[in-house]
Amino acid sequence: MQVTAYLIPALFIFVLCYSLAKRHNAYQSFAEGASQALNLIFKVFPYLLTVMIAVEIFRQTGVSAGLAKLVSPALGVFGIPKELSELVLLRPLSGAGSLAILDNIYSVHGTDTYIGKCASVIYGSSETIFYVATIYFTGTKIKKLRYAIPLSLLATFVGVIVGCWMVRLL
Amino acid sequence: MNKLWICILLSSLTVAMWTSPSIAITAMTKGANDAVKLSLTLVALYGLWLGLLNIMEKLGLTAKLSKLMSPVVRFLFGKEISADTQQYISTNIAANLLGLGNAATPMGINAVSSMAKEGQTKASTPMIMLVVISATSLQLLPTTVIGLLVSHGSTNPTAFLLPCIIATVTSTLVGIVLVKVFSKIFVDTKKTKATTKEDTPCK
Repeated sequence: MQVTAYLIPALFIFVLCYSLAKRHNAYQSFAEGASQALNLIFKVFPYLLTVMIAVEIFRQTGVSAGLAKLVSPALGVFGIPKELSELVLLRPLSGAGSLAILDNIYSVHGTDTYIGKCASVIYGSSETIFYVATIYFTGTKIKKLRYAIPLSLLATFVGVIVGCWMVRLL
Repeated sequence: MNKLWICILLSSLTVAMWTSPSIAITAMTKGANDAVKLSLTLVALYGLWLGLLNIMEKLGLTAKLSKLMSPVVRFLFGKEISADTQQYISTNIAANLLGLGNAATPMGINAVSSMAKEGQTKASTPMIMLVVISATSLQLLPTTVIGLLVSHGSTNPTAFLLPCIIATVTSTLVGIVLVKVFSKIFVDTKKTKATTKEDTPCK
Protein backbone atom coordinates (compact mmCIF):
# COMPACT_ATOMS: atom_id res chain seq x y z
CA MET A 1 0.00 0.00 0.00
CA GLN A 2 2.73 2.44 0.98
CA VAL A 3 4.73 1.49 -2.07
CA THR A 4 2.15 2.89 -4.50
CA ALA A 5 1.77 6.01 -2.38
CA TYR A 6 5.49 6.75 -2.92
CA LEU A 7 5.45 5.59 -6.49
CA ILE A 8 3.31 8.36 -7.96
CA PRO A 9 5.17 11.40 -6.56
CA ALA A 10 8.47 9.66 -7.32
CA LEU A 11 7.43 9.15 -10.94
CA PHE A 12 6.41 12.80 -11.33
CA ILE A 13 9.62 14.05 -9.68
CA PHE A 14 11.71 11.87 -11.95
CA VAL A 15 9.97 13.03 -15.11
CA LEU A 16 10.08 16.70 -14.11
CA CYS A 17 13.78 16.60 -13.20
CA TYR A 18 14.54 14.79 -16.42
CA SER A 19 12.74 17.44 -18.47
CA LEU A 20 14.60 20.18 -16.58
CA ALA A 21 17.88 18.52 -17.44
CA LYS A 22 16.82 18.28 -21.08
CA ARG A 23 15.50 21.88 -21.11
CA HIS A 24 12.15 20.60 -22.29
CA ASN A 25 8.94 22.63 -22.03
CA ALA A 26 7.15 20.22 -19.72
CA TYR A 27 4.32 22.66 -19.04
CA GLN A 28 3.39 22.82 -22.71
CA SER A 29 3.68 19.06 -23.23
CA PHE A 30 1.53 18.31 -20.22
CA ALA A 31 -1.25 20.59 -21.45
CA GLU A 32 -1.09 19.05 -24.92
CA GLY A 33 -1.36 15.57 -23.49
CA ALA A 34 -4.19 16.53 -21.18
CA SER A 35 -6.18 17.93 -24.09
CA GLN A 36 -6.48 14.41 -25.50
CA ALA A 37 -8.49 13.40 -22.44
CA LEU A 38 -11.55 15.25 -23.72
CA ASN A 39 -11.58 13.51 -27.09
CA LEU A 40 -11.11 10.22 -25.35
CA ILE A 41 -13.99 10.65 -22.95
CA PHE A 42 -16.33 11.66 -25.77
CA LYS A 43 -15.68 8.26 -27.31
CA VAL A 44 -15.84 6.33 -24.05
CA PHE A 45 -18.85 7.98 -22.42
CA PRO A 46 -21.63 6.58 -24.66
CA TYR A 47 -20.46 3.03 -24.02
CA LEU A 48 -20.15 3.58 -20.30
CA LEU A 49 -23.67 4.91 -20.15
CA THR A 50 -25.08 2.09 -22.27
CA VAL A 51 -23.53 -0.61 -20.13
CA MET A 52 -24.17 1.04 -16.78
CA ILE A 53 -27.89 1.50 -17.41
CA ALA A 54 -28.25 -2.23 -18.05
CA VAL A 55 -26.12 -3.28 -15.09
CA GLU A 56 -27.96 -1.03 -12.66
CA ILE A 57 -31.42 -2.35 -13.55
CA PHE A 58 -30.01 -5.89 -13.61
CA ARG A 59 -28.95 -5.44 -10.01
CA GLN A 60 -31.89 -3.44 -8.68
CA THR A 61 -34.54 -5.82 -10.00
CA GLY A 62 -32.77 -8.70 -8.30
CA VAL A 63 -32.31 -10.56 -11.58
CA SER A 64 -28.54 -10.77 -11.06
CA ALA A 65 -29.05 -12.19 -7.57
CA GLY A 66 -31.54 -14.72 -8.95
CA LEU A 67 -29.21 -15.73 -11.72
CA ALA A 68 -26.38 -15.99 -9.20
CA LYS A 69 -28.47 -18.42 -7.14
CA LEU A 70 -29.02 -20.46 -10.26
CA VAL A 71 -25.33 -20.80 -11.11
CA SER A 72 -24.05 -21.19 -7.53
CA PRO A 73 -24.25 -25.03 -7.51
CA ALA A 74 -22.11 -25.06 -10.65
CA LEU A 75 -19.59 -22.71 -9.04
CA GLY A 76 -19.60 -24.91 -5.94
CA VAL A 77 -18.27 -27.76 -8.04
CA PHE A 78 -15.15 -25.64 -8.66
CA GLY A 79 -14.79 -24.76 -4.98
CA ILE A 80 -16.14 -21.21 -5.18
CA PRO A 81 -18.37 -20.46 -2.16
CA LYS A 82 -22.02 -20.04 -3.16
CA GLU A 83 -22.26 -16.73 -1.28
CA LEU A 84 -19.89 -15.24 -3.83
CA SER A 85 -21.69 -16.18 -7.04
CA GLU A 86 -23.22 -12.73 -7.56
CA LEU A 87 -19.76 -11.18 -7.17
CA VAL A 88 -18.30 -13.61 -9.73
CA LEU A 89 -21.18 -12.83 -12.08
CA LEU A 90 -21.05 -9.04 -11.87
CA ARG A 91 -17.30 -8.49 -11.56
CA PRO A 92 -16.61 -8.61 -15.33
CA LEU A 93 -19.54 -6.29 -16.03
CA SER A 94 -19.29 -3.46 -13.58
CA GLY A 95 -16.57 -2.17 -11.26
CA ALA A 96 -18.89 0.00 -9.17
CA GLY A 97 -21.65 -2.63 -9.02
CA SER A 98 -19.35 -5.42 -7.91
CA LEU A 99 -17.62 -3.16 -5.39
CA ALA A 100 -21.02 -2.59 -3.75
CA ILE A 101 -21.46 -6.36 -3.57
CA LEU A 102 -17.97 -6.82 -2.11
CA ASP A 103 -18.80 -4.23 0.53
CA ASN A 104 -21.97 -6.14 1.38
CA ILE A 105 -20.08 -9.45 1.61
CA TYR A 106 -17.63 -7.92 4.11
CA SER A 107 -20.53 -6.62 6.20
CA VAL A 108 -22.39 -9.94 6.22
CA HIS A 109 -19.58 -12.50 6.34
CA GLY A 110 -16.70 -10.47 7.79
CA THR A 111 -13.38 -9.58 6.19
CA ASP A 112 -11.08 -12.21 7.68
CA THR A 113 -13.31 -15.25 7.20
CA TYR A 114 -12.83 -17.77 4.42
CA ILE A 115 -15.65 -16.21 2.41
CA GLY A 116 -14.31 -12.70 3.01
CA LYS A 117 -10.84 -13.67 1.85
CA CYS A 118 -12.14 -15.46 -1.23
CA ALA A 119 -14.17 -12.36 -2.06
CA SER A 120 -11.04 -10.18 -1.75
CA VAL A 121 -9.15 -12.54 -4.04
CA ILE A 122 -11.95 -12.60 -6.62
CA TYR A 123 -12.27 -8.82 -6.75
CA GLY A 124 -8.54 -8.13 -6.52
CA SER A 125 -7.42 -10.61 -9.14
CA SER A 126 -9.87 -9.70 -11.87
CA GLU A 127 -10.93 -6.82 -14.05
CA THR A 128 -14.11 -5.40 -15.54
CA ILE A 129 -13.58 -7.45 -18.68
CA PHE A 130 -16.48 -6.03 -20.70
CA TYR A 131 -15.38 -2.48 -19.96
CA VAL A 132 -11.78 -3.12 -21.00
CA ALA A 133 -12.78 -5.00 -24.14
CA THR A 134 -15.27 -2.34 -25.26
CA ILE A 135 -13.24 0.74 -24.34
CA TYR A 136 -10.00 -0.39 -25.98
CA PHE A 137 -11.68 -0.50 -29.38
CA THR A 138 -13.48 2.86 -29.13
CA GLY A 139 -10.92 4.58 -31.37
CA THR A 140 -11.53 2.14 -34.22
CA LYS A 141 -14.31 0.82 -36.40
CA ILE A 142 -13.75 -2.72 -35.13
CA LYS A 143 -16.97 -4.35 -34.04
CA LYS A 144 -15.99 -8.01 -34.04
CA LEU A 145 -13.79 -8.80 -31.08
CA ARG A 146 -13.67 -12.49 -32.01
CA TYR A 147 -12.52 -14.58 -29.06
CA ALA A 148 -11.24 -11.71 -26.86
CA ILE A 149 -14.08 -11.71 -24.33
CA PRO A 150 -14.67 -15.49 -24.01
CA LEU A 151 -10.97 -16.13 -23.49
CA SER A 152 -10.66 -13.33 -20.91
CA LEU A 153 -13.65 -14.71 -19.01
CA LEU A 154 -12.32 -18.25 -19.11
CA ALA A 155 -8.82 -17.24 -18.01
CA THR A 156 -10.20 -15.11 -15.18
CA PHE A 157 -12.43 -17.96 -14.06
CA VAL A 158 -9.45 -20.31 -13.89
CA GLY A 159 -7.61 -17.66 -11.86
CA VAL A 160 -10.55 -17.37 -9.46
CA ILE A 161 -10.70 -21.14 -8.95
CA VAL A 162 -6.97 -21.27 -8.24
CA GLY A 163 -7.27 -18.23 -5.95
CA CYS A 164 -10.04 -19.75 -3.81
CA TRP A 165 -8.08 -22.97 -3.67
CA MET A 166 -5.00 -21.06 -2.48
CA VAL A 167 -7.00 -19.34 0.27
CA ARG A 168 -7.78 -22.81 1.62
CA LEU A 169 -4.20 -24.03 1.31
CA LEU A 170 -2.26 -21.05 2.63
CA MET B 1 -21.91 -7.77 -26.58
CA ASN B 2 -25.15 -6.79 -28.29
CA LYS B 3 -26.92 -10.03 -27.40
CA LEU B 4 -25.71 -9.91 -23.82
CA TRP B 5 -26.86 -6.31 -23.44
CA ILE B 6 -30.31 -7.06 -24.82
CA CYS B 7 -30.63 -10.18 -22.65
CA ILE B 8 -29.73 -8.29 -19.49
CA LEU B 9 -32.11 -5.44 -20.24
CA LEU B 10 -35.00 -7.62 -21.39
CA SER B 11 -34.83 -10.00 -18.43
CA SER B 12 -34.53 -7.14 -15.95
CA LEU B 13 -37.34 -5.11 -17.51
CA THR B 14 -39.63 -8.14 -17.65
CA VAL B 15 -39.03 -8.88 -14.00
CA ALA B 16 -39.64 -5.21 -13.20
CA MET B 17 -43.03 -5.44 -14.91
CA TRP B 18 -44.00 -8.22 -12.49
CA THR B 19 -42.52 -6.87 -9.29
CA SER B 20 -42.29 -3.09 -9.31
CA PRO B 21 -42.49 -1.26 -12.64
CA SER B 22 -41.38 2.02 -11.08
CA ILE B 23 -37.92 0.57 -10.44
CA ALA B 24 -37.21 0.60 -14.18
CA ILE B 25 -36.91 4.35 -14.56
CA THR B 26 -35.18 4.93 -11.22
CA ALA B 27 -32.61 2.21 -11.85
CA MET B 28 -31.89 3.26 -15.43
CA THR B 29 -31.61 6.91 -14.44
CA LYS B 30 -29.25 5.98 -11.66
CA GLY B 31 -27.15 3.97 -14.10
CA ALA B 32 -26.98 6.91 -16.49
CA ASN B 33 -26.14 9.28 -13.66
CA ASP B 34 -23.39 7.00 -12.44
CA ALA B 35 -21.98 6.90 -15.95
CA VAL B 36 -21.85 10.70 -16.06
CA LYS B 37 -20.14 10.83 -12.67
CA LEU B 38 -17.68 8.14 -13.65
CA SER B 39 -16.91 9.96 -16.90
CA LEU B 40 -16.12 13.13 -15.00
CA THR B 41 -13.76 11.21 -12.74
CA LEU B 42 -12.22 9.50 -15.74
CA VAL B 43 -11.73 12.65 -17.80
CA ALA B 44 -9.86 14.16 -14.86
CA LEU B 45 -7.70 11.07 -14.41
CA TYR B 46 -7.08 10.69 -18.15
CA GLY B 47 -6.05 14.34 -18.30
CA LEU B 48 -3.58 13.84 -15.48
CA TRP B 49 -2.00 10.70 -16.90
CA LEU B 50 -2.07 11.69 -20.54
CA GLY B 51 -0.37 14.94 -19.55
CA LEU B 52 2.44 13.12 -17.79
CA LEU B 53 2.70 10.51 -20.52
CA ASN B 54 3.01 13.20 -23.18
CA ILE B 55 6.01 14.69 -21.37
CA MET B 56 7.53 11.21 -21.13
CA GLU B 57 6.88 10.63 -24.80
CA LYS B 58 8.47 13.95 -25.84
CA LEU B 59 11.51 13.20 -23.69
CA GLY B 60 11.90 9.77 -25.22
CA LEU B 61 11.26 8.05 -21.89
CA THR B 62 8.48 5.85 -23.23
CA ALA B 63 10.80 4.80 -26.06
CA LYS B 64 13.33 3.71 -23.44
CA LEU B 65 10.69 1.80 -21.52
CA SER B 66 9.62 0.21 -24.78
CA LYS B 67 13.17 -0.88 -25.53
CA LEU B 68 13.49 -2.35 -22.06
CA MET B 69 10.31 -4.38 -22.44
CA SER B 70 10.88 -5.17 -26.08
CA PRO B 71 11.73 -8.90 -25.70
CA VAL B 72 8.56 -9.61 -23.75
CA VAL B 73 6.33 -7.46 -25.93
CA ARG B 74 7.72 -8.92 -29.13
CA PHE B 75 7.25 -12.45 -27.85
CA LEU B 76 3.63 -11.75 -26.93
CA PHE B 77 2.56 -9.56 -29.82
CA GLY B 78 4.74 -10.74 -32.67
CA LYS B 79 7.47 -8.88 -34.49
CA GLU B 80 5.23 -7.07 -36.97
CA ILE B 81 4.00 -4.36 -34.64
CA SER B 82 5.23 -0.82 -35.27
CA ALA B 83 7.52 1.12 -32.94
CA ASP B 84 4.64 3.40 -31.92
CA THR B 85 2.39 0.49 -31.08
CA GLN B 86 5.17 -1.12 -29.12
CA GLN B 87 5.58 2.04 -27.05
CA TYR B 88 1.88 2.23 -26.28
CA ILE B 89 1.74 -1.45 -25.34
CA SER B 90 4.80 -1.17 -23.08
CA THR B 91 3.38 1.85 -21.28
CA ASN B 92 0.02 0.13 -20.97
CA ILE B 93 1.55 -2.98 -19.41
CA ALA B 94 3.84 -0.99 -17.12
CA ALA B 95 0.92 1.13 -15.88
CA ASN B 96 -1.23 -1.96 -15.35
CA LEU B 97 1.52 -3.68 -13.36
CA LEU B 98 1.90 -0.63 -11.13
CA GLY B 99 -1.82 -0.62 -10.47
CA LEU B 100 -2.40 2.60 -12.42
CA GLY B 101 -5.36 1.20 -14.33
CA ASN B 102 -6.65 4.63 -15.27
CA ALA B 103 -3.33 5.53 -16.83
CA ALA B 104 -3.29 2.19 -18.64
CA THR B 105 -6.68 2.65 -20.33
CA PRO B 106 -5.79 5.59 -22.63
CA MET B 107 -2.58 3.80 -23.61
CA GLY B 108 -4.55 0.67 -24.43
CA ILE B 109 -6.91 2.68 -26.61
CA ASN B 110 -3.96 4.30 -28.40
CA ALA B 111 -2.29 0.93 -28.89
CA VAL B 112 -5.38 -0.63 -30.47
CA SER B 113 -6.02 2.47 -32.62
CA SER B 114 -2.45 2.44 -33.89
CA MET B 115 -2.77 -1.24 -34.85
CA ALA B 116 -6.08 -0.80 -36.68
CA LYS B 117 -5.95 -0.53 -40.43
CA GLU B 118 -8.29 1.52 -42.58
CA GLY B 119 -11.71 -0.15 -42.77
CA GLN B 120 -10.78 -3.01 -40.46
CA THR B 121 -13.82 -4.45 -38.68
CA LYS B 122 -12.36 -7.53 -37.03
CA ALA B 123 -9.89 -7.58 -34.18
CA SER B 124 -6.43 -8.94 -35.01
CA THR B 125 -4.51 -11.35 -32.79
CA PRO B 126 -2.20 -8.73 -31.22
CA MET B 127 -5.25 -6.63 -30.33
CA ILE B 128 -6.92 -9.63 -28.72
CA MET B 129 -3.69 -10.37 -26.85
CA LEU B 130 -3.62 -6.85 -25.44
CA VAL B 131 -7.27 -6.98 -24.39
CA VAL B 132 -6.86 -10.40 -22.77
CA ILE B 133 -3.71 -9.35 -20.89
CA SER B 134 -5.41 -6.19 -19.59
CA ALA B 135 -8.73 -7.88 -18.90
CA THR B 136 -7.21 -10.70 -16.87
CA SER B 137 -5.76 -8.01 -14.59
CA LEU B 138 -2.07 -7.53 -14.07
CA GLN B 139 -2.41 -5.49 -10.95
CA LEU B 140 -0.06 -6.77 -8.28
CA LEU B 141 -1.38 -4.56 -5.50
CA PRO B 142 -5.19 -4.24 -5.45
CA THR B 143 -5.38 -0.98 -3.51
CA THR B 144 -9.18 -0.72 -3.76
CA VAL B 145 -9.67 -4.02 -1.96
CA ILE B 146 -7.08 -3.21 0.70
CA GLY B 147 -8.73 0.15 1.29
CA LEU B 148 -12.18 -1.41 1.68
CA LEU B 149 -10.82 -4.11 4.00
CA VAL B 150 -9.24 -1.45 6.21
CA SER B 151 -12.46 0.53 6.36
CA HIS B 152 -14.27 -2.64 7.47
CA GLY B 153 -11.77 -3.01 10.32
CA SER B 154 -9.94 -6.03 8.98
CA THR B 155 -7.25 -7.25 11.36
CA ASN B 156 -5.03 -8.41 8.53
CA PRO B 157 -5.91 -6.55 5.33
CA THR B 158 -3.00 -7.98 3.36
CA ALA B 159 -3.61 -11.67 4.19
CA PHE B 160 -5.32 -12.28 0.86
CA LEU B 161 -2.45 -10.84 -1.20
CA LEU B 162 -0.51 -14.03 -1.84
CA PRO B 163 -3.49 -16.06 -3.13
CA CYS B 164 -4.60 -12.97 -5.04
CA ILE B 165 -1.26 -12.59 -6.82
CA ILE B 166 -1.20 -16.30 -7.60
CA ALA B 167 -4.73 -16.00 -9.01
CA THR B 168 -3.99 -12.98 -11.16
CA VAL B 169 -0.73 -14.42 -12.50
CA THR B 170 -2.51 -17.70 -13.28
CA SER B 171 -5.32 -15.96 -15.11
CA THR B 172 -2.95 -13.85 -17.18
CA LEU B 173 -0.76 -16.83 -18.09
CA VAL B 174 -3.79 -18.94 -18.98
CA GLY B 175 -5.05 -16.03 -21.07
CA ILE B 176 -1.75 -15.69 -22.94
CA VAL B 177 -1.56 -19.42 -23.66
CA LEU B 178 -5.19 -19.49 -24.82
CA VAL B 179 -4.66 -16.56 -27.19
CA LYS B 180 -1.52 -18.20 -28.59
CA VAL B 181 -3.40 -21.46 -29.14
CA PHE B 182 -6.49 -19.80 -30.60
CA SER B 183 -4.44 -17.67 -32.95
CA LYS B 184 -3.01 -20.88 -34.38
CA ILE B 185 -6.47 -22.38 -34.85
CA PHE B 186 -8.28 -19.31 -36.15
CA VAL B 187 -5.72 -17.68 -38.38
CA ASP B 188 -6.07 -13.93 -38.99
CA THR B 189 -8.24 -13.10 -41.99
CA LYS B 190 -5.49 -11.63 -44.15
CA LYS B 191 -3.87 -15.03 -44.56
CA THR B 192 -6.86 -17.27 -45.15
CA LYS B 193 -10.22 -16.02 -46.29
CA ALA B 194 -11.69 -19.51 -45.81
CA THR B 195 -11.70 -19.29 -42.02
CA THR B 196 -14.22 -16.48 -42.04
CA LYS B 197 -16.93 -19.10 -42.43
CA GLU B 198 -16.24 -20.40 -38.96
CA ASP B 199 -16.89 -17.22 -37.05
CA THR B 200 -20.41 -16.49 -38.15
CA PRO B 201 -21.26 -12.81 -38.13
CA CYS B 202 -23.08 -11.99 -34.94
CA LYS B 203 -25.68 -9.34 -35.47
